[in-house]
Amino acid sequence: MPPSRRSSLIVTACLFAYLVPGLGHLYLRQWVKGIVFLVAIGLLFGLGLAMDARLVLPTGWGDPLALLRSIAQMAMGLPYFIARHLEIGLDDRLVKSVTHEYGSTFTEAAGLLNVLVMLDVYDIAVGRKTS
Amino acid sequence: MTSHLLALLVFSALVSVVFAFLQRDEPKARVQFGLKVFAGFVLSTFLIGWLMFPFPR
Repeated sequence: MPPSRRSSLIVTACLFAYLVPGLGHLYLRQWVKGIVFLVAIGLLFGLGLAMDARLVLPTGWGDPLALLRSIAQMAMGLPYFIARHLEIGLDDRLVKSVTHEYGSTFTEAAGLLNVLVMLDVYDIAVGRKTS
Repeated sequence: MTSHLLALLVFSALVSVVFAFLQRDEPKARVQFGLKVFAGFVLSTFLIGWLMFPFPR
């Protein structure tokens, strides 16, 4: 494969992997992994939203940990931005329900897992891993 | 999902599956690794829970 085509494949695969968990693997024809990541990480994020996760961005630098948690949620890609667009998790109340902390943890873990999935896609795309 | 135990089990199961597929390539190795990670999550949660028992606040 010519280097320019290889670079384009790597960038596209990583972009797809960021946008939707598992899509990068599906693009690289890693069907089983792609579907497993799509379902498992998607479920984790969806259950988090169902448990009233907060997707509110922190304002200012008063709570750096909250900023890191928001960045972790953003790593989920399109589902995160769609949820925000639909105004899910944007309630002003800090405590919306008894499960909101679990919900936030589920969504943050989903985003962080998607980062690992993106790294896996990169390794496969550059040829470091075969599957 | 208001049950702590159910939330723990669901979270551990989903994360274990992702870890298993990221870290192992063979199906048998994935199952073994996934079960180990799942057991690690659940057992460590109970252990930490009991360690925190004397300090409720």
